[in-house]
Amino acid sequence: MPSSRSRVSLSLVVSQGRQETCNAELVRGLISGEGWAIGETWHRFAPMVSMMAERCLGSRSEAEDICQEVFYRMLRRVKSLREPDRLRSYIYSFAVRVVRNALRRRKVRAWLSFDEPENLVDLTWEAPDMESRDLLRRFHRLLDRLTPRDRLVFSLRRMESMTVEEIARAMDISESTVKRSMAHATERLSTWMDDDPGFSGLVETLREVR
Amino acid sequence: MTTSSHEPNPSKMLTALANLGRDGVKRLTRAELDRGLNALHDRMITGEARRRGLFRWSVIGAAVIMSTLAILHWRAASVSVRALAYQIEGGRVVEGGYLREAGHSGMALLFEEGSTFVLTPGTRGRLRAVNKEGARVTIDSGKALFRITPSNDRHWWVESGPFLITVKGTVFVASWEPTTERFELRLQQGSVVVSGPVSGGDLTLRAGQHLVVNLAKAETLITEETPQDAAIMSASAVEPSSVPPTQQASSARSEPAVPQPRTPVTTPPVNSDSERHWAQKLANGQWDRILEDVDRTGVDATLNAASSEDLFALANAARYSRRTELARDALLAERRRFPNSPRALDALFLLGRVEESRGGRLSRAIPWYDEYLALAPSGSYAAEALGRKMIVTKETGGATQARAIAEEYLRRFPKGSYAGTARTLLRVH
Repeated sequence: MPSSRSRVSLSLVVSQGRQETCNAELVRGLISGEGWAIGETWHRFAPMVSMMAERCLGSRSEAEDICQEVFYRMLRRVKSLREPDRLRSYIYSFAVRVVRNALRRRKVRAWLSFDEPENLVDLTWEAPDMESRDLLRRFHRLLDRLTPRDRLVFSLRRMESMTVEEIARAMDISESTVKRSMAHATERLSTWMDDDPGFSGLVETLREVR
Repeated sequence: MTTSSHEPNPSKMLTALANLGRDGVKRLTRAELDRGLNALHDRMITGEARRRGLFRWSVIGAAVIMSTLAILHWRAASVSVRALAYQIEGGRVVEGGYLREAGHSGMALLFEEGSTFVLTPGTRGRLRAVNKEGARVTIDSGKALFRITPSNDRHWWVESGPFLITVKGTVFVASWEPTTERFELRLQQGSVVVSGPVSGGDLTLRAGQHLVVNLAKAETLITEETPQDAAIMSASAVEPSSVPPTQQASSARSEPAVPQPRTPVTTPPVNSDSERHWAQKLANGQWDRILEDVDRTGVDATLNAASSEDLFALANAARYSRRTELARDALLAERRRFPNSPRALDALFLLGRVEESRGGRLSRAIPWYDEYLALAPSGSYAAEALGRKMIVTKETGGATQARAIAEEYLRRFPKGSYAGTARTLLRVH
């Protein structure tokens, strides 16, 4: 007897255990220096690192360099990773530290060279319109005026949508420090934007475009 | 200024900008990812090579540093532990530290750091101790000359009868006659402290002072000498009794010794060519004065005019002052001008010693020792000549060549100064 074909939708579910096994195999491969593991790790996590770096730094080329540095450091120290299932956060914490160092270097370099920090930024934003690009460029100029820690906290919170706890863990600081930095950054950015009449018009334009 | 209702709220504006910043970032393309991965591979290879190179150089650097530190430590340890090296000429040290004169020319102890002890002929003394900090020597009877190289790290003590002379850097002559219980010290340079049975505690003497203590008569006398006086006194210092009684203005032991001006005694002119008194000056440790005389008169003129004894004294003064070229010239002049004199024979041995101290010409000493041993197989320097020949042969030709000399040395001088070295040489090889 032909049975009526049921219309049950199928979906591929990857169990938590399977994910852990994959990460475990990946970490074992990384520790052994196997090429496939390095390639797989790169393709899996490099976009995440690159985008986070670019959001925080406002520079595509600098983000690529950061990405290289993060994976180079991570591969050298992967033996210290005791929980393979935390590979993603492990890489992310590397990325946060490297980005923070980059922000500090940029601050020092700008101070030593008496150069405007925004001149060091190269923006290759996806936003098609000139207004949005100009707005982002102006926004990053303001971000450059923040301290490296305040800027990183703000970027991780607002652009990476990380929780306070995650930021505190990634930056190895207390949650209260994260909150203080966040409040400080928001207050200062708001003040600077309030003092800049060009922002209001650009934001209106942005709303219309979007 | 108030914010109008048309103006964007700063928090909304920030949110909008943050969203724009988040959404505006493009994801890496497949090509960009591949290019990045290749770059990562390249970096890992070069980084690994660099790390290996760095590690290799770090290991090499660490090894070099460790070796250097080890060597420095070893050297410091060896220097700190090792006692001062010295050479003895004209005699040897026997059991108990007694200094036994080989001939009748006195003995000299030459320390590596430049200090020199010279025992005049017939003087009996003991080398009590030699360590890294200095030495302690005793004069049982007779007269000895001390030229101590100044150093804050070293201490020298001279026991002369019941007196103890604490020395830093100085030049002085000390004598002790046990039969008459007479102690004498003539200080040429520096200062010394004399401890012993004198009133008023320790005596500190300075350059130019002359101390005479006669225990039998309970007399202590300190006199001041001008350089001229010192020269004159040096000439007469060989015989203690030659000090005129008028100069021995005695003072009771209970009274502190008071420096007194000294009137020169009648002595021949010092710088007369015919009356150089270099042997006496040498005996009084006045090597500088001998060399000053030579520099004033001229080396060639002196070598052609000086007597056999003066040439020999000059050679020794030059040796003690490390002027080896002048010493060599004086000894060669001794050989040339007085070939049949007893000093000419001694000059052969000393020429060997001078060649050894000239540096880099060690092997040139051997013919001189050979000639001396051939002409004076039982001479006062025979044991030393053979011993030095053994040492030099070992240094220049190796232990195998020196073995035969060591055997000969032990056969001829089984209790000689170099017997221990000879036995070691034979035992090892």
